Amino acid sequence: MDLFTILFYVFALITLGAACVVVFSRHIVRAAFALLFAFFGVAGLYVFLLADFIAVTQLMVYIGGILVLIIFGVMLTQKQINVDIKTSPVQTWPAVLIVAALAGVLIGMFWSTDWARMGEISTATTATTPKLGEMLLTTYVLPFEVASVILLVALVGSAMIARRERNT
Amino acid sequence: MIALRNYFGTIFYALYTVAVGMKITWGRLFKPAVTIQYPDQKMKMPERARNRLYVNIDDCIGCDQCSMACPVDCITIETIKAPADVDLGVTSTGNKKRLYVPKFDIDIAKCCYCGLCVPPCPTECIVMTDVYEFSEFNRRDLIYNFSAMTPDQIVEARARAKKAEEETAAKKAAAAATAAQAKAAAAVNPVPTTPPATTSSMPKPEPPKPD
Amino acid sequence: MELIQSLLANEIVVAILLSALPLVFILVYALVTLYMEMKVAAHMQDRLAYMRTGWHGVLQPFADILKLLQKEDIIPFAADKLLFQLAPYVVFIGTYAGFAFIPFSSIYIGSNINLGAFFLVAAGSLVVIGILMGGWASNNKWSIFGGLRSASQMISYEIPTALAIVIAVMITGSLNLQDIVKFQEGGIHNWLLFGGPMASVTLTQKLLLIPFTLVTFIILFTASLAEVNRTPFDLPEAESELVQGFNTEYSGMRFAMFYLAEYANMFLVSGVAVSLFLGGWSSPFGSLMSGTIWGIFWFVLKAMVFVFLQIWIRWTLPRLRVDQLMYTSWKVLTPLLFGCLFAIGLILVW
Repeated sequence: MDLFTILFYVFALITLGAACVVVFSRHIVRAAFALLFAFFGVAGLYVFLLADFIAVTQLMVYIGGILVLIIFGVMLTQKQINVDIKTSPVQTWPAVLIVAALAGVLIGMFWSTDWARMGEISTATTATTPKLGEMLLTTYVLPFEVASVILLVALVGSAMIARRERNT
Repeated sequence: MIALRNYFGTIFYALYTVAVGMKITWGRLFKPAVTIQYPDQKMKMPERARNRLYVNIDDCIGCDQCSMACPVDCITIETIKAPADVDLGVTSTGNKKRLYVPKFDIDIAKCCYCGLCVPPCPTECIVMTDVYEFSEFNRRDLIYNFSAMTPDQIVEARARAKKAEEETAAKKAAAAATAAQAKAAAAVNPVPTTPPATTSSMPKPEPPKPD
Repeated sequence: MELIQSLLANEIVVAILLSALPLVFILVYALVTLYMEMKVAAHMQDRLAYMRTGWHGVLQPFADILKLLQKEDIIPFAADKLLFQLAPYVVFIGTYAGFAFIPFSSIYIGSNINLGAFFLVAAGSLVVIGILMGGWASNNKWSIFGGLRSASQMISYEIPTALAIVIAVMITGSLNLQDIVKFQEGGIHNWLLFGGPMASVTLTQKLLLIPFTLVTFIILFTASLAEVNRTPFDLPEAESELVQGFNTEYSGMRFAMFYLAEYANMFLVSGVAVSLFLGGWSSPFGSLMSGTIWGIFWFVLKAMVFVFLQIWIRWTLPRLRVDQLMYTSWKVLTPLLFGCLFAIGLILVW
């Protein structure tokens, strides 16, 4: 086992362990903080997939943005902090359907990936960022712009809602 | 336009005030410190500083005025009256000393440094000095005993005072007895209105002893 | 690096040793800065500070550390023990992760990846989570307020910081901090603060760039002050209103971890500002006094100047109000940086 294999298993363990805490913990704040390690582990796994830009974005967006928002939300809804949340299964059948569909997609991807050629890819591409940037502004410029417009709308909308009425 | 000018004006004003403040602190950085390294260096106390009390016991006449002036009762004085034949000398201010001072205690832990004990002193023997470092490990050590008398001297002085008192009491009793006899003799002869003076021959109650 | 590798013949050991180098640096630096902070603060207030331990109290930081080491590790009864114990380490890890991307010298950089500048912004978010964790786990009103304030502040100021870094990246064309520093090699006139090297821009472009890069640099420094929770942006710890905020309940070694992280963060943001705009480890006199060892010297010197500046500002300015803090970030720093971004982009393509 070389260093990378060991590190891969470490990150995988962190991700899975933290994810289990998120799901099974009866303490909502601890569950939220466990997400930190889950996101961190996933970022590590992205690095092993040579997607370093995605890894850093994962850190930046999920840990720096979304997780902070979740924790804020959990902390500010104070009554829920000390209430034991339910961890027993509810709505079993819809959940089974969704999980089955998700698992189907993942397994399908697993089968369709040409694992033998992975070695070549890992040596061929090192810098993903310039290519990502180019593609975002040429081939995928429409989805990119649509996403930014949606974000802008969300921003304006939230400002509208949060703003205090002058008249009242 | 005005809003824009205000906006940038505020920003520049903020930067300017930050610069002004930083210039002042930079200048201060090289000024000598105003504080001193206390146990090594000491500030000169002002002339009329009120700190530790000192009693020049040689000048004390035991008048108890300082003790009465003290708002926190930190001064305790006991006195023994000196016999008439003993000369305790005079103070430096010329007052004649008539009392032994076997106990002159100041509990400096209680002292509030108000200085009220100083002016009443007729001989100016209690003063506030500029000594301010007198912390102790034991609180009892903060009770200062100013009396110059040794225990032996106190016992002796007490004994002599008692003796002198007894003598004067005896004298007085004798004087009283003779006076009573004279009175009685005078009373018997003219009109006997009062019963015999059996009570008047008893000695007068003694003045309370200093203990 | 190959030399050390051949000597030890074990990549794991080498990796651990190399990654521990900044830690050694941080510990030494923290001692120096602790002393400097106290001395500068005292002299700015016409005091003397430590004078008892050693010559002018130089041994006081060691005494402080000994004291912190000996202290009892107190965990409040009502605290969330696990998170309480975890928080200082998360904060320190977040700070230390940033040190991996700081080029200390032309040959020493923890991780020479192409996304260094981007990662630096991302690593700061770990600190936010750690502070929130500590604030919540303490189960104390002040601490939770400190944590919340800290999080909202750091998120707000991440945007100006990131934008300023984007501007530097736009001029140099690289996200790799080592490349950004190499881009500015060759003397003080090549620094990004003064529009970058003549090789890449014409004289007119350079002259036009200078005001915008200057503004960008000032904004980056201001934003980084807020990122490390230093005065005048020290609302999260605000001794006078929040009793040290998120570290109210911490004592002993855990407190020391928070403290160390704060000081390391001061150096980190200074290092980033220096690397991006002031030529990092490159000598200000061109080839004079340049080289590997000189590189470390220049980098540490430049960064320490900014650490000193942070201390200087701390002992000059009062604390901002929360609304002023948000106003500064969203209505002053961010729009100005957007303006700079736009202008610099125009100048560069023109």
